[in-house]
Amino acid sequence: MILAIVLVIAAIVALGTILRLATIQHLQVSRERAGQVGSIRPIDIEAFRNLVDSAEDEYLRRRLSPTEFRVVRRTRLRAMAAYVQAVGENAAVLVRVGELALASGDPRIAGASQQLVNDALLLRRNATVALARIYFALAWPYSSFAAVRVADRYERLSGSAMLLGRLQNPAVAVRLSAPRAR
Amino acid sequence: MLQPHSLLWHYLWIGPQVLQAALVVFLWRSGLHRTYPVFLTYLAFGATEGFILYGMDVLPWVSAQMFWEAFCVGAVIEGIIKFCVVGELFFQLLRSRPTLAKVGSRLISGAGASLILLAVAVAAYTPIVHRQAVLMSRAHILLQSSYVIDCGLALFLFLFAAHFKLVWDHRAFGIAVGLGIVWCEHMAGWALSANGVLHDKSYLLDFLNMATFHVCVLIWFYFLLVPHKVTTTSAVSLPENNLDIWNRELERLLQQ
Repeated sequence: MILAIVLVIAAIVALGTILRLATIQHLQVSRERAGQVGSIRPIDIEAFRNLVDSAEDEYLRRRLSPTEFRVVRRTRLRAMAAYVQAVGENAAVLVRVGELALASGDPRIAGASQQLVNDALLLRRNATVALARIYFALAWPYSSFAAVRVADRYERLSGSAMLLGRLQNPAVAVRLSAPRAR
Repeated sequence: MLQPHSLLWHYLWIGPQVLQAALVVFLWRSGLHRTYPVFLTYLAFGATEGFILYGMDVLPWVSAQMFWEAFCVGAVIEGIIKFCVVGELFFQLLRSRPTLAKVGSRLISGAGASLILLAVAVAAYTPIVHRQAVLMSRAHILLQSSYVIDCGLALFLFLFAAHFKLVWDHRAFGIAVGLGIVWCEHMAGWALSANGVLHDKSYLLDFLNMATFHVCVLIWFYFLLVPHKVTTTSAVSLPENNLDIWNRELERLLQQ
């Protein structure tokens, strides 16, 4: 009896999730037909690099007491997670931008779009993995991980988006990363 | 009206099978069998199985033992075909996105393996509720486990597509939505049947299962045969506001 109830609840949750995701997809397609793809948040890639710099972590580890280090490290990890989430969301928007641009008849734009889609999907995947590792590190602040790949991939993606933007509208340059704050 | 062998019961058993058979013919004529060969096989097998089981149910000389044996054989074959349908939908989703092919195939293999283990565990913990008809109980447990896997895989497909913001092809989307609805409902329905929750009123679940399947066949008709609006083929430019910001920042960067 308990097993049946558990399975029924699981089925209702699964059905609700499927219907919700299907509705979101339907609305997304409708918005895209109206030319609304979504917006991209500029990201300060240097600030992110600073956050993921292992030398910085090592320096803090040496200078601070273990308790202080854990607090600081967790704060930095939360900031890192916010950056990675924004990167992942930008990548998701660029997947759609690239896929819509793929329909263009111009082979140069189609090529740049394919490159953008590939880079954005890779970045989305890496952002997911990086986010999982950040949350893991939040539980164990002394563990180390490499989120640097996300930063590298993001720079590559920025290049792909710039190329596509130039091909679509040669008069306007496109960039994804915000410059360092002065 | 909601009694076994009532007019509604006959309609709900036979009606969707007739529609499935008609859909197979329409898909074949429109050339969609080349794009969705496994789904076409699923429809054709489902219709054939439905007609055979219906015939076995109404013919007086067919014993209950024979009926449930045929039911189990059909469920096993259909289970294998359903696995292949999920694979076909996943292939359709990743066909133009080779970047995700490797990680996608690993994830779906992992999800499939985990769901099989879960289904085995669920089957092991389900009691035999009909002591006088053990084969019927086993058939219910088999279907309960089968739909645990199917429902999980359907959910995985939607979560994967949503996470990577992948947009389904219109027809694949319709197939996936229909399968998702029917598999989730069937999982709940067969779980209640297998655990004997409704006792002597369990035929009500048959009505629910058959009605849901009927609705899903109509969904497939709509998505597969009704022409849909073609998405704009002009290239979409990046949002204007962001372009301005990026341009300004780029100029500043170049002046450094």
